Amino acid sequence: MTTVPTPAPPTRRRRRVPLAPYLFILPYLLIFATFWAWPIVSSFLMSFKDSRLGAAAGYGLSNWQRLIGDEFFRTALKNTLVILVIQVPLMLTLATTLAVALNSRLLRARGLFRFAFFAPLVVGTVAYSAVFRLLFNGEFGIVNRALSGLGLPQVDWLNQPVPAMAVIILAMTWRWTGYNAIILLAGLQGIPEDVYEAAAIDGATPWQQFWKMTLPLLRPTLLFCVVLSVIGTLQLFTEPALITNSGPGNATMTLGTYLYQQGFRSFNFGYASAIAYAVAALAAIFSFAQLRLFGRDS
Amino acid sequence: MKKLALLTALALMGTASAQSLSGTVTVWSWDAAAKALESTIPSFNKKYPNVKVNVVDLGNQNVYDRGLAGCAAGGADMPDVYSIENNEAEVFWARFPDCFTDLNTLGAAKYAKSFPAFKWTELAVGNKRYAMPWDSGPVVIFYRRDLYQQAGVNPNGIKTWDDFIAAGKKVNAKFGGKVKMGAVGNGQDDEWFRMLANQNGCFYFDNTATQITIAKSGCVQALDTVKKLFANDVVMTTDWGGQITAFKANRLASAMFGAWYEGTIRTNAADQSGKWGVYPMPASKPGGVRASNLGGSALALPSSSKNKAAAYAFMENALATTNGQVTMLKSQGLVPSLLTASKDAYVNQKQPYWGNQTVWKTILDTLGDVPAARGTQYFQDARQVMIVVQADYIKGKYKTAQDALNDAAKKISAATGLPVAK
Repeated sequence: MTTVPTPAPPTRRRRRVPLAPYLFILPYLLIFATFWAWPIVSSFLMSFKDSRLGAAAGYGLSNWQRLIGDEFFRTALKNTLVILVIQVPLMLTLATTLAVALNSRLLRARGLFRFAFFAPLVVGTVAYSAVFRLLFNGEFGIVNRALSGLGLPQVDWLNQPVPAMAVIILAMTWRWTGYNAIILLAGLQGIPEDVYEAAAIDGATPWQQFWKMTLPLLRPTLLFCVVLSVIGTLQLFTEPALITNSGPGNATMTLGTYLYQQGFRSFNFGYASAIAYAVAALAAIFSFAQLRLFGRDS
Repeated sequence: MKKLALLTALALMGTASAQSLSGTVTVWSWDAAAKALESTIPSFNKKYPNVKVNVVDLGNQNVYDRGLAGCAAGGADMPDVYSIENNEAEVFWARFPDCFTDLNTLGAAKYAKSFPAFKWTELAVGNKRYAMPWDSGPVVIFYRRDLYQQAGVNPNGIKTWDDFIAAGKKVNAKFGGKVKMGAVGNGQDDEWFRMLANQNGCFYFDNTATQITIAKSGCVQALDTVKKLFANDVVMTTDWGGQITAFKANRLASAMFGAWYEGTIRTNAADQSGKWGVYPMPASKPGGVRASNLGGSALALPSSSKNKAAAYAFMENALATTNGQVTMLKSQGLVPSLLTASKDAYVNQKQPYWGNQTVWKTILDTLGDVPAARGTQYFQDARQVMIVVQADYIKGKYKTAQDALNDAAKKISAATGLPVAK
């Protein structure tokens, strides 16, 4: 008994600590439990329930069985992964380039540029989706006008599968590049100047400096951007819902819009919950893999 | 004398109850339908001056989505009067039997014979009536007289879909492909397929909602015709808004929809007055059925309404009186399903916008030929599948329409658990 140190002096302190702080955070805890924790548990339970047969329905694995064999789910997954594989690298390459450019001391009016690239994020999603629909309208859109002005063939952007996907990727890139660039810029500014001075003295070219120093030192920030972008893409909803309406056919249907379709069009909440948990599991797996692959020694 | 006193007393009571109805009635609806309901407010307020009616135009999809969300939340944030499409209605009664008031409890049973039976099939479950029939959607072709004439097309000569395609080729030749014979929402919706399938007596499901019948011959023929329209390049692909833009820009020689599209054309292209006309949809084969139904709606009364008497009074005035229905026909072209309304003098009047044609007679004359079809609670599941299958078939993914629809039937079965009809 004498060898084991007691963790805290008894009686007096124990009486003083407890209630007040918990009372103060109680409202938050209640809100957290009601609006965060409970829905998470509830939707998990619901994923085992056949919600379409009404209140009498029992629990079972039918939703999960359907998910495994569901062609539409596979299409949504495939589309989401296509966007992930093309859009995220494209956007982050652009964002890194932009961040380096914005960080350059040669650039004037940097504040203005930072604002300009960040601005798309401030625009309401519905408004910007409407604008993209207009821009890419096959008959009357300015993009097709410009194409024919340049002597190029017109593209039926929104009614053909591949062009529709291209519009989604373009729209997302337009919206999110600046956001990532600003985060990366913050990362760049955290790299001490003397590293570059030392490199310059050793005769490293700017190109070598970028590849051998900037990028490795930026890795934690890049990793942060990658993980956020991947999770964001897995949950992608706004652009395909508002610009292409998941179409044509299911060509731009994502996991997010499929979930919405099942939940709010067919009103099959059980199945929608199963999809939601599949998405959450994917996001967890992807994030874990990225942290393991690129997150070593940082 | 006694009788007179009684009558006076009754009359007084009547006015008293009309006067005593008060408060606000909030109505959710969409586009032209919302404007149509608004047009009935003056006649309603003549009877019930103390009730303020507030029609909110949320847009079609939003009304559906918010209604389902509201029912799921136990009736939270619901209006007093709720617009609902017949096709989509059953999902509400199936999943949320308590979300809407049984209108029989308010006396709706007496209107059972006032509307055609097919309008009630999706609105009544057992001995409950969940909504009151509103408009129907007899399908017709709206056409541009001037453009047809320039291309040398005689609308009276278009009796089959082959005639329609031949006419489309003439239009293409005349306008160098700039003007199309029709607009199909391929990839966005499967409306053309549904209209043609219904015309051929086929639909996603049978009328008892127990089997999937989409792979039957009438549907196969419908899908084949849609493909032919694309193969011959006589239609453009566009969505709802795109089609409106196209006809305003003189790029569409005709449009096919439920007759409720009359108001959409008339209000969006007021400057094209006199240039439009109407003819019945072409048949699959010579002498075949030239009628179909697309859409058509009803009004329901959410259980959570705090003002049910006033809400019901509003519905009665708008839907169950000839005056109400004809007011909506005049203002927005909503086709009455109240039987007495079709006998109204207005129906037989010439319409200046439509080149002085008696369009409403042409349209209502098709009603009796419309084959019955039922949306069921799985309408949206089937529709999502069919939008994709149609787009894939047009693109060339399937060899034949039968292959495409066999696949569609299999997918709908997987999504709904219903068997495919043999």
